[in-house]
Formats: sequence, C-alpha cells, structure tokens
Amino acid sequence: MGNGWILMTKIKEAINPYIEIEGGLMPALHAVQEMEGYISNDAISELALAFNYSNAEVLDVLTYYDDFTLEPSGKHVIRVCRAEACQSLKSKELTEHLTDHFGMSLGETTNDSKITLKEVFCLGNCALGPSVMINETVIGEADKDKVLNFLNDIE
Amino acid sequence: MNSPLKIYIPNETTSNSVGATQAYRAISNLKGIEEAEIIRNGTWGAFWLEPFIEVESEGNRVGVCYKGVDLSQLKTLNDFLSDFDNRDPFDIRKIEFINEQKRIVFSRIGKGNPLDILFYQDQGGYDSLKTALNLDQQNVIDKIKESGLTGRGGAAFPTGIKMQTVSDQSSSLKYLACNADEGDGGTFSDRLIMESDPFALIEGMTIAAYAVGASKGYIYLRSEYPLAKTYLTRAIGIARENNFLGTNIQSSDFDFEIELRIGAGSYVCGEETAMMESIEGRRGLVRSKPPLPAINGLFDKPTLINNVVTLATIPPLLNGSLSDFSDLGSGKSVGTMPFQLCGNIEQSGLVETAFDITIGEMIEKFGKRTKSGLPIHAIQIGGPLGIYLSSRMMSTKLTIESLQSIKGSVGHGGIVVFDNTVDMSEQAKFAMEFCAKESCGKCTPCRIGSVRGVEIIDRLQKNSSSKEDSILLNELCKTMEATSLCAMGGMTPNPIYSIINNFPNELVEK
Repeated sequence: MGNGWILMTKIKEAINPYIEIEGGLMPALHAVQEMEGYISNDAISELALAFNYSNAEVLDVLTYYDDFTLEPSGKHVIRVCRAEACQSLKSKELTEHLTDHFGMSLGETTNDSKITLKEVFCLGNCALGPSVMINETVIGEADKDKVLNFLNDIE
Repeated sequence: MNSPLKIYIPNETTSNSVGATQAYRAISNLKGIEEAEIIRNGTWGAFWLEPFIEVESEGNRVGVCYKGVDLSQLKTLNDFLSDFDNRDPFDIRKIEFINEQKRIVFSRIGKGNPLDILFYQDQGGYDSLKTALNLDQQNVIDKIKESGLTGRGGAAFPTGIKMQTVSDQSSSLKYLACNADEGDGGTFSDRLIMESDPFALIEGMTIAAYAVGASKGYIYLRSEYPLAKTYLTRAIGIARENNFLGTNIQSSDFDFEIELRIGAGSYVCGEETAMMESIEGRRGLVRSKPPLPAINGLFDKPTLINNVVTLATIPPLLNGSLSDFSDLGSGKSVGTMPFQLCGNIEQSGLVETAFDITIGEMIEKFGKRTKSGLPIHAIQIGGPLGIYLSSRMMSTKLTIESLQSIKGSVGHGGIVVFDNTVDMSEQAKFAMEFCAKESCGKCTPCRIGSVRGVEIIDRLQKNSSSKEDSILLNELCKTMEATSLCAMGGMTPNPIYSIINNFPNELVEK
C-alpha cells in the first residue's frame, strides 16, 4: 500500500485516456514515459492489463522504440545529432568534446543522474548544424561551450 | 490612425536554435514595447540570416540578421529601433535567394503568425477547400491527376492515381494518414510547413479526405519535432473551432477529424507500412505489399497515405495555381520541389524551385559556397539512401529521371554539402551503420548484412586494395538490394555504389 498504490493509480490515470482509442498503446507508452521518465515493470503490467496483452507483448513493442526506456534517464537529456548534415560540420568532433567532458560514452548517464548523453539521427535543424537537443530545446551551430552554457542556465 | 509598428520575431526550430527565443524575450521586456505589436512569425527559410527580425511601419517591412547579438543590453523600444536602423535593414523578399525561387507551396512561410487563421484566409487559405466542397469528389481527384503531382516523400508515386485507388474502394470507412516522420538527414521541408504554415497541411488533408471519402485522418509526427507538435495541436484545435474540421465542415455534409500521433524515434516508421504498424500500436516492422495501403491499410481499411509536403501542395492546385505548377517540368518531375540546401554551405535553407535545375546552378545561385570556405568535395542528394555526387558532377540535373539514371533519387529533396575534409570511406561506413541501427529487422540481408557491411568497410579502410573485400562488399550490396522488402535495406547500397564509382580510390582502389 502507500506509495506503490499511489503510483499505480497515477499510471492508471495516465493510460486511461488511450485504452479505448485505436492503437492506443503508443500514446499510452508516451504518457507513462513522460510521467515517470521510464517504463517500469509495474507500468508494463498495468499496460498489459489495460490493453489485454501479455507483459511480453508490451515489452516487445516498447523495446523497439528508442524513446521508451526501461531505466530512468538523467535529469537532462542531451541528444547529439549524428546525421549527414551535421557530420559535414564536424559533429564527430563535437561528440568527442562532449563525451570527453562528461567522461562517458553516448547512451550513458552521469553517476549523479544529472545528464544522459545520447545520439540522435536528424533533428531537422540541418541548415545550421551541428545540432544538439537538450531536453526539448535545439541548439544550432553548437559547440561544447554553447551546450555547457545552456545547461548552466537551466540548472 | 496610423497602423501600429509591427515587430516580427520568428518562432521556428532553426531560428530559435540560434537565438530567436532570447531575442523575443529581450524585445518583449523593452520599455515602451506596448507601442508595437510583436508577431511571432514563421521563418522565410533563409536560415543563414536567422534570427531574422523584421520591423514593419507604414507598410514598409524590412529586417536584420541578429545572429550573435545580445539584445538584453537595450532598455527601450527606441533603443532597439535605432540599433535596428543602424544595421542596414533590408527587404528579405528582394534578395536573390528568395526572389529567384518559385514559391507555390511555401508561398506563405515567414509572412505572418502561423496560427492566425484570419491571416491564413487573407492569404488565400481555405479558398481551395471551399472550392473543393462545391465540386464533385471525382472532379477534385481529376484536378490532382491533371496537375502531374507526384509524392514528395521520396517514392514519387503519382498522387492522383493513389487517390483514385482509395476512392474506388467501396468501404464505408476509410482513413487518411499523413506521414510526418521526416527522418532523412538533411531534410526539414515538412517541419517548415508544420511550424510555419500548419493550416496548409490541415487544409490539404481535408481536401484529400473529401476527395477519397475518408472520415478520419492521422498525422504521424516524429518525436524529434516538439515545436511542430505544439503548432499542429493548436492549429487542429483552431481549425475545429472555425468549422474547418469536425462535422458538417463549412455547412457541407462532409465530416472529417484529424488526430495527431507521435512517433518514438524509429527511422523506419517513415516507411508507410511500418508507420501503419506503429499507429496501430505495434513494433514498426515493414509489411509486405500487396495489399496496397490504398486497398487494405490502416486497421484493414483503405488508406490514403501521403507525405506532408504532398498534402500541402493540394490547396494551391485548386486555387488558380494549377497551371503555374503543372507547366513546370515534365515526366515525374512536374511542378515545384522544395529542396533543402544544408550541411557545409554558406546560404542554407529552403529552395522551392522547378526540378529542372543542375546541382551546380543550385549551389551557385542559392548556396554560394561552403561555410568553411574550403572547396566542395561531395554532395549527398536525397537523404541517407541517396547518392553522393563529386565536385566534377555539377551539371547533374535534379530531376527525378536524371538522378534515377545514375542510380540516385531526389528522395525528399535534401541536399547536403561536404567540403574537402570529408572522408568518403567514413560516409560509406555510416550508410551501413545507419542501416544496422535503424533496420526493423524483418529482412535478414538488411538486419545482418548491414553489420557485415560495417565490418567489410572497416577492413577496406585499413587496406583499400583488398580485391577480396571489394568483391564481397559489392556482392553484399547486390544481395541487400535484391532481397529487402523496403527501401531501407534496398537502397542503403546506393550511397556506397556512388562512393565507389564517383570517388575512385577513396574507399576501394580502382
């Protein structure tokens, strides 16, 4: 009871609007990911129950998509674009500067759970690359300083 | 009374990415700002000038590029206006980059607030829907056929014929699915429509749905476009409030609803059958065709699937721009194409023009030179599955037919420029790496072949004269091409072939 019960109620409320709509599992997964920051085992069970799937079927769908994660991400998610237009403007060097700075590889989270560094393939900001997305903000003509300054501003 | 002073500050991803948001904050805090009206417009698509801020007074509208300028030092509106005047403001509509284009589909971007439905209507918006609702459905389809429009998402299938197929199905329930999963590296034209002229997409969808008899539309938008999501959500709401969506649209007996669905970071979901799987709530695995989606598509119903730009092209075809459009070009390459000039190029942005232009003219007239100042070495056309042209191929025309003849494609119109520091063997390896990362896994040659491809290219990077690896790479590419269900595995070899052929000795020794 207690916290666990409150959490289950929150998950139920988050997925409730999508149960009756066609193909509602995707928007329901988005709702849980947005609310919890990841898709927990409890959420998988709730989703399975709501959509009449087995837990394995829910897992099958969510693991296909990069946006859904089984573990919490850092407080801020930095996505570095690795697609062609950004490559032409040295995104590889930018990626190295960032991985060196944070002392981790793409796909990892800092020990203090503050920063997750990820790759992304195209943010549609190809005219002013290299591009980095921090949470939902895109930074164009990005360099390490611009990224760190932005992080400072939002901290 | 004098018309009030207007200040236009774009609210669009790329403009915001280089400071439009900060400029807006600074300008709205100026003392005396209530004397002026601030309009968050879309972008003009001349991105190297962003953030481009314009001032309109007494009908005269001019602007200035505020890149790298910190406006927070300014105190009053007058401080800003004198700073603005000192920066030699100019009329963006008169620069070569804009006035040498033929903007039919992107005629409104940059001009006003993308969510101002009265502005949209003042600019000719919704005239076409009203025209269409007074026409027989078949008449609308005939006009699209007559226009010569082909799909702008990449496959270039004749739009009118696809509409006819859906229309011919007798099902009482049909769907329209707008593919807004614009995942090709080097493309942003769909995003520009959604962020800078969203009603154009909604109107195009409504006309197409009326023509084929669809009552429900989905927009499948990639999650990497959060601002487009905001714009579309609000624009759909505004259209509904104004009876441009919903029941008895504009007092007709036509009902149509649009629902926005968000992708989750999968490139293959831009392939139409994978997109349908994703909308239905499953893994984005490609389906084999037939059945065609037009006959048996979303939720097993006939479904018209079109890309954003294709749908946004429909309204101009019904409001008097039909002959302007269809008089341009021939074959599959009729009308205008929004090319997206980007990467290492000084004047980057959206170039809507006829297909009949060479890549050399495109660079000379619109892009000018590389951003780095170094010579151009390679140009990729048509996204990750498109080919690389070398600097000796500047006379290549950008028509669908011309690129097809050299095993390339216009695709979604992306043009990515690289200077001479590029390592073409890395670009070849990236093609395979991207395929390995994004393959849905259904076809073995795509899923596993791409991994083997990365390994072979790794070896070739150490020894480019290895005959064995060069033959193996060629055979692997041929297998992927012949045995993959969709373009992901089937066209990944194209950039690699082009690097082997157009860049001798840069991947394999000739």
